Amino acid sequence: MKKQFLLTSLMMLLVVILAACNSNESSSTTETNSSNNSESTGDTESKEKQIVTFWHSMSGAGQETLNAIVEDYNNSQDDIQVNAEFQGTYDESLTKFNAVAGSDSAPTMIQTFEIGTRSMINSGQIVPIQEFVDADGYDMSGLEENITNYYSLDGKFYSMPFNSSTPVMYYNKDAFKEAGLDPEAPPETFEEVEAAGKAIVESNPDMKGFALQAYGWLWEQLLANQGALLLNNDNGRTGTPTEIGWTEEEGKSIFEWVKRMVDAGTFANYGTNSDNMMAGFLAGDVAMFLQSSASSRDVIDNAPFEVGIAFLPHPENKERQGVVIGGASLWMIDGKPEAEQKAAWEFMKYLQTPEVQAKWHIGTGYFAINPAAYDEQIVKDAYAEKPQLQVTVDQLQATKPSYATQGALMDMLPEGRKVMETALEKVYNGGDVDEAYNTAVEQFNAAIEKANAARGE
Amino acid sequence: MSMSNPTLESLENEISEINFEQIKKKQRLKSFAKGMLFLLPSIVLFGAFLFYPLFKTIYLSFFLTNAQGETTVFVGLQNYIDMFASPVFQQSMKSTFLFVLYTVPTTVVIALFLAVLANEKLKGIGLFRTIFSSTMGISVAAASVFWLYMFHPSIGFLNKMLEIFGIDAIGWLTDPKWALLAVSATTIWMNLGFTFLILLGGLQSIDSYLYESADIDGASYFYKLRRITIPMLSPTLFFVITVTIINAFQTFGQIDILTQGGPQNTTNLIVYSIYREAFANYQFGTASAQSIVLFIIILVMTVLQFKLGERKVHYQ
Repeated sequence: MKKQFLLTSLMMLLVVILAACNSNESSSTTETNSSNNSESTGDTESKEKQIVTFWHSMSGAGQETLNAIVEDYNNSQDDIQVNAEFQGTYDESLTKFNAVAGSDSAPTMIQTFEIGTRSMINSGQIVPIQEFVDADGYDMSGLEENITNYYSLDGKFYSMPFNSSTPVMYYNKDAFKEAGLDPEAPPETFEEVEAAGKAIVESNPDMKGFALQAYGWLWEQLLANQGALLLNNDNGRTGTPTEIGWTEEEGKSIFEWVKRMVDAGTFANYGTNSDNMMAGFLAGDVAMFLQSSASSRDVIDNAPFEVGIAFLPHPENKERQGVVIGGASLWMIDGKPEAEQKAAWEFMKYLQTPEVQAKWHIGTGYFAINPAAYDEQIVKDAYAEKPQLQVTVDQLQATKPSYATQGALMDMLPEGRKVMETALEKVYNGGDVDEAYNTAVEQFNAAIEKANAARGE
Repeated sequence: MSMSNPTLESLENEISEINFEQIKKKQRLKSFAKGMLFLLPSIVLFGAFLFYPLFKTIYLSFFLTNAQGETTVFVGLQNYIDMFASPVFQQSMKSTFLFVLYTVPTTVVIALFLAVLANEKLKGIGLFRTIFSSTMGISVAAASVFWLYMFHPSIGFLNKMLEIFGIDAIGWLTDPKWALLAVSATTIWMNLGFTFLILLGGLQSIDSYLYESADIDGASYFYKLRRITIPMLSPTLFFVITVTIINAFQTFGQIDILTQGGPQNTTNLIVYSIYREAFANYQFGTASAQSIVLFIIILVMTVLQFKLGERKVHYQ
């Protein structure tokens, strides 16, 4: 009896070890691969080559494309060796960075999301990119205006824009045809989306009309598209924000729009999970959804039907203002040797060249920071094959520059997003619009107040 | 002379007394130093990895911080006052206690049932023991991803099954009525293996002569279960319950992967809430205050258990 038990426990142990090995392997193969490469080259050539450590948060198609670009760069010259290291999501990477900032383990450059802009500047751990621009006489005006608008503050660049995306509406063209809708004229306003949703549900009861992930970023975009500010003091660009910037009518319009669709039974609720929403769209469970243009390659390539891409919807009584740049930029870290920073700057400049940007744009769906990339042959070929990709660029270029579409700057934005997500979920689950909205505004203001207090201002 | 004798004696007495005291003191000091020397390794380790972080957390909970976690403004008890007034934190506390209530008794009862079954001496029982304890070998991340697909609203196994029976699809992880139950079910499934294994180990260590003499007395199966198995298993049960409760309070991985605290914060358990405050909102002060509350809750729960539960535990 005892022996048998021993045997069982041994088997169990084996299972435990095997499982542990497996899960470790799958999560870190890419990371170890890249770091192994860099170590081996670093040992032999460290004397001649300047090493640049680059922390990024690109996974999936983005990581593949980025690694290819870094490899091309390392092979193209003999002075600089860039080691690209994946550090998890933007949040995780930022947490790691805060832990090592100021020490030798800190990277030379780091990729951080747009809402981290203010906290990076406040951290005092970075060198504004403007210093390198001035010293080098680099011309930033060649870059996409709508993108540089976000990252320049009082005419000064703190970081180098890199991967930028905006939200777009994806829709199922086949489902539109079946419902008797024109697949080439996607709905443009909130009201048209509702009507299209109803038509789709009528023609196919198994398919919902529209899905909106409970994601603060999308909410901010729907707000900006109406020309509304997220924070007062011009979205925090002319002064430190002290409270929310939108009016009750502007903020509530989104909640009420969703509420009407929930009541009509045309709304698909995927909560905060974007993967589920994407899987639902690909499986034909929902006909329209909003998501970052950075997903366009994934969606188009994986859908068994024809995918259409449209502009972000807006309320009928408001003119479309356009979208805020999302995505991330590259930051130069303070306290590194000058030679190392110079090398990182060279790499940043390389990333802005039209050829690299063209590769980046069609490989991922992120925009080309450098509009000259759109004239590259590979981009033209990709557009001929997948004309939907062009819609994302058109939407960005149709955006009207204003404080609203420049986007907000504040260090509490991640918390604010969570507040709006909770409020949206409340409405998705049949909650009262007024109650959800008022609680959200209250918490949003409290978060702003607390962030200001924590800075000791 | 006759007068000086007693004074001398008393003097000598005094001296010897002082010496005696001094020696005693010295010896005590020596043995104290020796004791400390033996304890030093653990004191250093506990100090560096337990006491220092604990006191630092208490310290941080009285401040507001910047994104690097450096203290900026002293606010006294304000972090605690704000926290208890916050509806998000109240919801978080409510969810945490509900979660403990859903998971702990269910896990222990199911595991006990399986352990009693697997304790029978039958052919091929080893296979069943392996199956019952197999969830122990699966990491939290792997299990959560597996359940994430089970719970998927449109292509998930559970909703496909409901569809066959003509029942409307359930938003397992998006409906606030279901999300906490769904996460609890996942947790019970994950913890079952470990709990089962410990309980089976406890069952195996019960002396067989107890059952033999009960057999001679002609006791029935359920009588033996009630009068021998459960009392003899009580130390193991006590251990399992304590550990499961502490684990339930500290649940994080499955929340992060399955729901991220949503929908409407219904699965925002306290450790996840601490994580969000610290590493998404960069409010290390609030996060520290919540950690202290969690520490006190677990401390009180454990003390209560030892006070109330241990009376009923029978040690051999």
